Amino acid sequence: MFEIRSRTQRFILQLVVTIAIIPFLIPLVTMVQKSLEGEGWTNYVDVMKVPGFGRFFLNSLIIAGCSIVLVLLFTMMASFGFSKLRIRNKEVYFWLMMAALTLPEVVLIAPLYVTAVRVGLLGTYWSVILPIAALQIPFTTLITRAYVDGIPDALFEAARIDGASTWQSFWYILVPLARPMGVALGVLVLINAWNSYLLPKMFLINDSMGTVTLLPEFFKRQYNDDTPKVLAAAVLTAIPEVIAYIALQKQFERGMSAGALK
Amino acid sequence: MTDVAVKTRLRGGRKVHPQPGGLRWVAPGFVLSVGLIYYCIFYSGFLSFFSWRGGASKMTFLGLDNYTKAFASSVFWSSIAHTLIFYVVVFAVQVVGGVFFAAAMHSKILFATLYKVIIFVPVVIAPAIMAPAHIQVWSSDGTVNALLSDLGMGWLAQGWIGQSSTSLLVVTMAQCWGAVGFGFLLYFASMGQIDYEILEAARIDGAGNLRILWSIILPNVKATTISLAILNFITALKLFDNPWLLTQGGPAHSSEFLGTMIYSEVSGQSRNLGYASALSMILLVIAIAVSVVMNTRGTERPTRKRRRGRTIADKETQDV
Repeated sequence: MFEIRSRTQRFILQLVVTIAIIPFLIPLVTMVQKSLEGEGWTNYVDVMKVPGFGRFFLNSLIIAGCSIVLVLLFTMMASFGFSKLRIRNKEVYFWLMMAALTLPEVVLIAPLYVTAVRVGLLGTYWSVILPIAALQIPFTTLITRAYVDGIPDALFEAARIDGASTWQSFWYILVPLARPMGVALGVLVLINAWNSYLLPKMFLINDSMGTVTLLPEFFKRQYNDDTPKVLAAAVLTAIPEVIAYIALQKQFERGMSAGALK
Repeated sequence: MTDVAVKTRLRGGRKVHPQPGGLRWVAPGFVLSVGLIYYCIFYSGFLSFFSWRGGASKMTFLGLDNYTKAFASSVFWSSIAHTLIFYVVVFAVQVVGGVFFAAAMHSKILFATLYKVIIFVPVVIAPAIMAPAHIQVWSSDGTVNALLSDLGMGWLAQGWIGQSSTSLLVVTMAQCWGAVGFGFLLYFASMGQIDYEILEAARIDGAGNLRILWSIILPNVKATTISLAILNFITALKLFDNPWLLTQGGPAHSSEFLGTMIYSEVSGQSRNLGYASALSMILLVIAIAVSVVMNTRGTERPTRKRRRGRTIADKETQDV
């Protein structure tokens, strides 16, 4: 975009960008630096030895995994129905769903809390998975439907003439063709589910059910504000996310920018 | 209806019926999302007329008292003010930072991939996990104060988190830290779609880098700016993670947001689910109203602008 004519200009641009990057590094560097204060790497060993540390990761994995499966399956099915099948008053259903598009999750916590207590879901994975999935589905359906609209109807008609059932059309035509969209949305749901804090904080009240986002608080209680250990725990929690991002850069970027189409 | 019309036209008058029975396929997603969300909204609306501590405690009908209580509360209005300030600052930083980094990475600079990763990692890490680090950065013996004294501005050092005059700043900065990368990502993608010939033509006409940024790049990425404006507003309205983790909305409600207010009413000592529900309903109405207004205005403008931009560009290429 910027045209660079001379070496000085190139140097200045490089310098300005490099200086502008520094603020992004400050919290990361601080985190690592302070986590090594006191007993150095022993902090990390101590943190990993805390019973139940792995449990938080497992819980986050379960919640993210179930949310992804639920959202992707329901989204693909709904997009297939909305785009390729006949439904009476189709657009009414569609817009009822879209009305929930920009819903902030905070507005759900009071009624959800009451309901979760009443039906005994408080402290179960479902109390987090179901709201996460419910909040994602309108948006994922919106963009997947647009994507499926781009798949020619002729493909489905041909399959139907050849005797394929609706289920076969779905599984052998739609799912493979919509896979790129599925991967991007899967990553989006993964990030949202893995990073969600409010819902787990509200509903997963036992430490044995806690997700990684609740780890810093868990360690604050464990160590009575022993900052280096709390930060060591935070570093350990952040590492999988950073690795996942670096390994899957393209998918992450596509998934996150899909989220902006709202 | 338009679907059918298009299909008939395409197939030369032969009408093709889509396969029936679609409702079954739509039902699971519809029931889960629409069911759960609408149930919650109606239930919330119902609860907002009562005073209730939850569980077996008595529900007292209050009528509209919860709403009048909210509108009369100074905490409520200050959280609205915080939301607006937060929104304006985060949005401005995200647009300026996003456009700058995106344009810079599209120019030939060294280490572009490394820089991209550094800017984007904050987007990926959960605010909840970064919170202890942000607290360290802004604490009285933290990095910001250390940097200030290194730069000879030690007199500026202060307890950023613990005082009401700066707590909102800390929350806003922590949010900006993660927001710039997201803006960068979107701008980087939409700048990649700008026609290179337009840039060349402008350059031949003698436009400098800043002129090109202002007159060509920015108008071309306007759709991105609009969607960031909407997304940021929703984010500001529902904000919970950063203020709760960094300041708990304090001290003295100086960094309170609607999200933290609702949370404290649902899970705090003085639980009042009715008041929390009333706040939720107010938040919901604001969210819907704003996104409707922004969406309708946002979709009208860029098309008109874009058309005009294209004719100018066409003229320019012709002139060349």
